[in-house]
Amino acid sequence: MRKDLISMEDLEKNEIQEYLTMAEKVEAMPLEERVKLLPGRIMAAMFFEPSTRTRLSFESAMHRLGGSVIGFAAKDATSVAKGESFTDTIHTVESYSDILVIRHPGEGTARLAAQESYLPVINAGDGANQHPTQTLLDLYTIRKDLGKIEGLKVAFVGDLKYSRTVHSLIRALMKFNVTDFTLVAPETLRLPEYFMHSDEPGRFRFHETERIEVAIQECDVLYMTRIQRERFPDLVEYEKVKDSYVLTAEMLSEAKDHLRVLHPLPRVNEIAYDVDNTKFAGYFPQARNGVIMRQAILLKHLGVTL
Amino acid sequence: MKQNEKILHIPKIDLGIVIDHIPAGQGIKILEIISKYEEMKDVVVSLGLNYESAKLGKKDLIKLQMEYLSPEIIQHISIMVPGVTIKAIKNYKVHSKVVVQPPKEIKSLLLCKNPNCITNTEKHVPTLFRTTDAEGKKVKCNYCERIFDLHELETVV
Repeated sequence: MRKDLISMEDLEKNEIQEYLTMAEKVEAMPLEERVKLLPGRIMAAMFFEPSTRTRLSFESAMHRLGGSVIGFAAKDATSVAKGESFTDTIHTVESYSDILVIRHPGEGTARLAAQESYLPVINAGDGANQHPTQTLLDLYTIRKDLGKIEGLKVAFVGDLKYSRTVHSLIRALMKFNVTDFTLVAPETLRLPEYFMHSDEPGRFRFHETERIEVAIQECDVLYMTRIQRERFPDLVEYEKVKDSYVLTAEMLSEAKDHLRVLHPLPRVNEIAYDVDNTKFAGYFPQARNGVIMRQAILLKHLGVTL
Repeated sequence: MKQNEKILHIPKIDLGIVIDHIPAGQGIKILEIISKYEEMKDVVVSLGLNYESAKLGKKDLIKLQMEYLSPEIIQHISIMVPGVTIKAIKNYKVHSKVVVQPPKEIKSLLLCKNPNCITNTEKHVPTLFRTTDAEGKKVKCNYCERIFDLHELETVV
């Protein structure tokens, strides 16, 4: 078994399925049983940049498995602020804990940590590169809500250029034989061309449109994203596109009955609040699944089988 | 005049390294690579340009009066000018030879162009790239996972 979880690019389909199966087993387990699974084990949450839901869901996941958590939530609170190198920080913290969960703005940081440390390393986001635990929880949510992943029609809306969540999920869905993608983005935020290339020409269909209505009518999953202000070097450009797509309850009247609207959160205003009360809204259950998937990941990488 | 007679214009060596089948014009490039390495500072080098070649039409040729060419230099040459032949000469005869191809993994040579890549802040970490196409023209950083054209990356030396 892999020591670390660093990048979705490393995982074969059967390995992804193992995480999904593990999460199913975790969810089926009563809370009072789950809390007996990791007593005495310590997770180090090393967050070198701000994060709310990823950090809190990891911490919650570990506490609810009976383990405990040490860590920091900003690099200013660490010796890195005194000039310590990242690798030295890793070697220090590894002697205090059993598993390292790392979020860092530098791309490739988790890979480096995994090479340096004998402990399992979980990538909780490395810059614009990878965020595999988000992708796994997205896949888990899709399979749980729609009963399968294979063959679904999935639409992505918003920032398809910079969103690592989108990039990573598209790659993973391709492994699950999802062949039909609808991409809704303003011209400046289109999915980079190379994501549409595959070794099997013609197998995957990417339908690009600027009209969200097309996606709503045709798809099984509508994956919304926030236009990320922090990714724009020029804020004038951000202002031009920030409100390109706002999904409202009324727009969903044409949707398939089983359509699920997902979003990695936080949302700004791309999903109107009136969508929250429709049967289509899947984003808060998706966030809850984050704890379950992260429990599955912690258990798997700490060698617990269910 | 025959091709072999022309080659004799640069001195024959009893012990050394010959870099042969260099496409014409690329000999200078290899010389530039070699000159970047400290260990090559005192080595006697002969460079021949534009010899006739049955295989290439025209070719360049380099002779080095040294016994052993380091794997780092061979790796560097194989990336910048793939397809050349490197021969080890002993007693005026070819003792061994290898046609160098772009390696699948390139260690500690290329610098990642992504300013946000961890190898650009943790400078003590050796870089590692893997080729992503058969020709070895595109490489992927092991750390930030970005894919680059080989020619757009600078080297450490």
